[in-house]
Amino acid sequence: MHRSRKTLALAAAGTSAMMALTACAGGADPAEEVRQITWVINNVPSQWASTSGAGGSVYTVQMLSGVVPNTGTYLPNGEYEFNMDVLAEEPVLINGDLDEGPFQYSFTLHEDAVWNDGTPMTAEDLRVTVMMTASPSEGYCTTCDPRGSATEDMIDTMEVDGKTLTVTLKEGMADPEWTSLFDFASAGAGFYPSHLAEENGWDVEDPDQLGEFYTWLHDTRPEWSGGPFQIVDGDLTNQVVKEPNPEWWGAETQVDRIIHPFNTEEGTFVTAFANGEIDGANPAQYSEDVILGLQDLPGATVTVAEGSTWEHIDLNTENEWLADVELRRAIFTAIDRADIAERLYGTGYPDYELKNNHIFNSDSEYYTDYIGETAQGTGDTEAAIEILEEAGYELDGDTLTLDGEQVGPLRLRTTDTDIRSTSVQLVQSHLAAIGIEANIEMSDDLGGDLTEADYDIFQFGWSGSPYFAGSAHQFWHSESGSNFGSISNEDIDAAAEAANSAPTLDEAAEYSNEAVELVVQEAYVLPILADPNYFFASDRVAGIEDNLFSSFRATYNIGEWALAE
Amino acid sequence: MSEKTLPDTGPRARAEAVGGPERTQMQMIVRRFLRHRPAMVSLAVLAVITAFAFLGPHLWAWDHRVHGEIPPSVPPGGDHPLGTTRAGHDVLGQLMRGAQQTLKVALTVSVLSTVVGSLWGAAAGYYGGRTDALMMRVVDVFMIVPLLVMVAAISGTVRGGTTWWAVSLIIAVFSWAQIARVVRGVVLSLREQEFVEAARAAGASPWWIIVRHLLPNAAGPIIVAATLLIAVAILLEAGMSFLGFGIQLPDISLGRMIDDARTAATTRPWLFYPPGVLLVVICLTVNFIGDGLRDALDPRQTMERR
Amino acid sequence: MLVYTVRRLLGAVPVLVLASILTFVLIDVSGDPLADLRLQQPPPDPSVIQLQEERLYLDRSMAERYWLWVTGIGGNGDIGLLQGEFGPSTQSTTYDIGANIAERLGVTLRLVGAAMVLAFGLAVLTGVVSAMRQYSKVDYTLTFIGFLALAMPTFWFAGIMQSAGVGFNELVGTQVFATIGDGTYQAQGQDLWGRITNAFAYMTLPTIVLMLTTFASWSRYQRTSMLEVLNSDYVRLARAKGLPERVVIRRHALRTALIPLTTVTAVGMAAIIDGTVLTERVFQWRGLGEFFIAAVDSNDSYALMAWLMLSGTTVIVANLIADLLYGVLDPRIRYE
Repeated sequence: MHRSRKTLALAAAGTSAMMALTACAGGADPAEEVRQITWVINNVPSQWASTSGAGGSVYTVQMLSGVVPNTGTYLPNGEYEFNMDVLAEEPVLINGDLDEGPFQYSFTLHEDAVWNDGTPMTAEDLRVTVMMTASPSEGYCTTCDPRGSATEDMIDTMEVDGKTLTVTLKEGMADPEWTSLFDFASAGAGFYPSHLAEENGWDVEDPDQLGEFYTWLHDTRPEWSGGPFQIVDGDLTNQVVKEPNPEWWGAETQVDRIIHPFNTEEGTFVTAFANGEIDGANPAQYSEDVILGLQDLPGATVTVAEGSTWEHIDLNTENEWLADVELRRAIFTAIDRADIAERLYGTGYPDYELKNNHIFNSDSEYYTDYIGETAQGTGDTEAAIEILEEAGYELDGDTLTLDGEQVGPLRLRTTDTDIRSTSVQLVQSHLAAIGIEANIEMSDDLGGDLTEADYDIFQFGWSGSPYFAGSAHQFWHSESGSNFGSISNEDIDAAAEAANSAPTLDEAAEYSNEAVELVVQEAYVLPILADPNYFFASDRVAGIEDNLFSSFRATYNIGEWALAE
Repeated sequence: MSEKTLPDTGPRARAEAVGGPERTQMQMIVRRFLRHRPAMVSLAVLAVITAFAFLGPHLWAWDHRVHGEIPPSVPPGGDHPLGTTRAGHDVLGQLMRGAQQTLKVALTVSVLSTVVGSLWGAAAGYYGGRTDALMMRVVDVFMIVPLLVMVAAISGTVRGGTTWWAVSLIIAVFSWAQIARVVRGVVLSLREQEFVEAARAAGASPWWIIVRHLLPNAAGPIIVAATLLIAVAILLEAGMSFLGFGIQLPDISLGRMIDDARTAATTRPWLFYPPGVLLVVICLTVNFIGDGLRDALDPRQTMERR
Repeated sequence: MLVYTVRRLLGAVPVLVLASILTFVLIDVSGDPLADLRLQQPPPDPSVIQLQEERLYLDRSMAERYWLWVTGIGGNGDIGLLQGEFGPSTQSTTYDIGANIAERLGVTLRLVGAAMVLAFGLAVLTGVVSAMRQYSKVDYTLTFIGFLALAMPTFWFAGIMQSAGVGFNELVGTQVFATIGDGTYQAQGQDLWGRITNAFAYMTLPTIVLMLTTFASWSRYQRTSMLEVLNSDYVRLARAKGLPERVVIRRHALRTALIPLTTVTAVGMAAIIDGTVLTERVFQWRGLGEFFIAAVDSNDSYALMAWLMLSGTTVIVANLIADLLYGVLDPRIRYE
């Protein structure tokens, strides 16, 4: 017995000694004078460059903020701004009229623009970036696997003249979004230093060797930088540390160090923030409790705004019942979008706005309200029943029938999130009001279930983008791999193709709207609303704001970040 | 794990119990259990919770689903004694359903893995030799393949999503192997006993011997293990929910509720505490009941737990 | 004993093979690893998808892929367990499974090691105290605490511990505990003193969480075996001989009562690796648990297979050690 008492006492003494130790150490912080910001990235980036489709993500892009140079970005207010640190002038459209000749444009880099090893940035950097971002079938690179290559694949020839790159598109091709080639939204989120290929002994003209350079860029922590910061420490699992780039030729940076810890667990944000371990984050998911929890903390700025992912309900036209457009219209009419939106965001984000155009937000100059013209999404049960009765359906008590046969039951699917499951439960009750039984089934494999069209009704989200020309084609063209519910309509196909290859944005917008109108008539996809996103930052920092138009989010202007006075 | 011979301890005393004195031993066990006060209190509490979970939904006005009439995020009181969620669930209704699904999962797991595990383990122990080695290798395989891989594989492919039944099945597949090991150990030490030899000499078939003689004599450790497995299964289900592999919405379990509300501790405590506390109470009572059973069945019996 | 060990290890090979086949098939049916790529906006070129299919060997049948995974014959040189290659990852083209596992093993071992040592010590202490004062208030209290620890969902308890840690920091006005990360980066460039306080700050909360669940069951175990020993003939004999109680307990009872716990601890070493998954998630440690979750989330079959080989081997070896220990500690057992 004596023994155990003694041990206990010892243990207690040890603990209190430890406490005393830490209390001392906490007072003397050696890094006090370093102006430092700790900004969370909401997932692990998985690789060091963002071009590859097998791991390129917004988290890689955010990690590379202030390191990879790009030619422009959308601002938080939705306006586009060219990066005049990097560019000598705004990109020039040399020829946009296909009758005159091939589509041609040029980019000219700023004369002071240099990489952090002192090597000037040249048009060769731009050219090699395109070569790595084009799909392998273009022949530049055997093993490059870019996550998106639509713009690059249109290119026929590129001419390098010092700081100027002149691009000529293939015959008959036009690219309304050509200015995006090296901006924030490109697959590489900017352009990469081509002189490092030569330094490491690779010949970029050789498709195999270019592939090796491409792999090296994705595999090696960048010591290179073309922005205000450079990465000085870190790995792909815990965090990266950035410090100012001494060769940066733009406005001087206001902080000495930025740490990006990777954090996958939103449940830790409130405690870690309260504990002073992080200065803020721009999380990928909306979470009302985290928002409320942060709002309760002193010294926190929290904003919530409409994000880029928009929720919508898709019908599978391959289903024997849903092949009938009248039934599809009735279903969409019966769904009450206002009810869904109010329940999801009525308390946390009461400024939500229902989405009435699949491609354009209401603040876009191209916006036209197509949904509002119809009864779709109103939850008008009587109107829905009227449509059904005219089309020969009968409401037999609580069951909708056609020629005596019960319509459905339909499989109503979505991924297992709080938001979506709430939404489909409401849709289920809306459909029950017109006699259609819908069984909810959750999906663990969104991509797989969509690709296999393993559903009758599916709610999921597309990520909206200020770049829209290819959207209609991807969503609704009968040949597109992302047209999961297999709508097949020649007029939609024509409009989508025209939008994709229109010479100007105005024309592309016109065709896109045409496609939207046709899709609404077909009652194929019902948009609900864009999910809000939140952002929080400590009052310690200044100059940080969320940018929901950019995948960089708050890090889009990392060079301007500062500590509050 | 297989070739060692266990020291001959517990079963010696019970060997004579197989014939006439069965009833008196049974009475003794019951009496010992009834005297174990924590176990009795736990049993009563668990009975109340079970009634709450299975009878409650029939009596209470709201079920666990979203209802248009329910106002969002209302603190406890009035029509909704435990408040409501943002989407429009009645928390009390959810809690009843959640407890029900959790108990269903736990009991199913316990029964399934106990039946399969004891038969498997007893057969391995009885036959011995090559059969034993082979059967125990299979057990080893199931102790190695990670639970979560199975969950991800099964929940992704089962039509209709992950229901309470699928969750139970997955946990059971994972846990029967441990029961098999426990039972095999006991049977190994029993099979050379006189009463088994006697049965064998009388021409009883192996299965008869296993079911009639060996398993009843191994009942102590089996019952205790089965009881404790209930608590383990509940916690596993909660862990699976946290990692996104548990029962899927719109259905609900206690684990799922805890996970959904894990960020709500300070903002909406009425979502955070009730499911957590209820789950802890269930596990606590189960552990005490297991403890009482252990004491009652054999005061000296120990069992292995991972 | 050497023969026995070798035989046991050889016997483990078919078990590992069977487990790996089962896992391989299960992951394969669980979904399309390229599903996310197909959902990219704008959509990737078909040649890119083809490139990925070739890289991940998805253009081959399941059986071919398994064979490839074992032997590496006919692969691109990045696969073949027998050649020491773990295969390509779906998570990115440059994700090195072997290097990742090695790095994360260190992280996990740090957490597990600390938790196990603490849990073992506490379990022995409380188990013995409980046994010696059976049915006393101390015993009931310890039993209740143990059962409570066994009854709490890890992530729930971890969340409460994080809040408690922050509350404590606010109370003392300085950051004693950290709530996220393993502190490796924070320790860089610090002197020894700084490293110690840093380790204390980052390790305390997760270690307590991981320790508590294990400790509870071990403590129960120790209590039972101690009770058994205390009631045994030779302890009674020792007492009868008039030996002081202290000597009886330390020399005779405790030594014998530790045997079963030692073996349970060895087996538990494997189980605790599973237990780290939740703890690592909540405290954002990038250990094997997080590795495993990421691999499951992205249908990363080769990464999961590598994890399985590691955890499977650990389970087998831990069980073997347990049995061998039993033999060493308990002279009544002989291995044939």
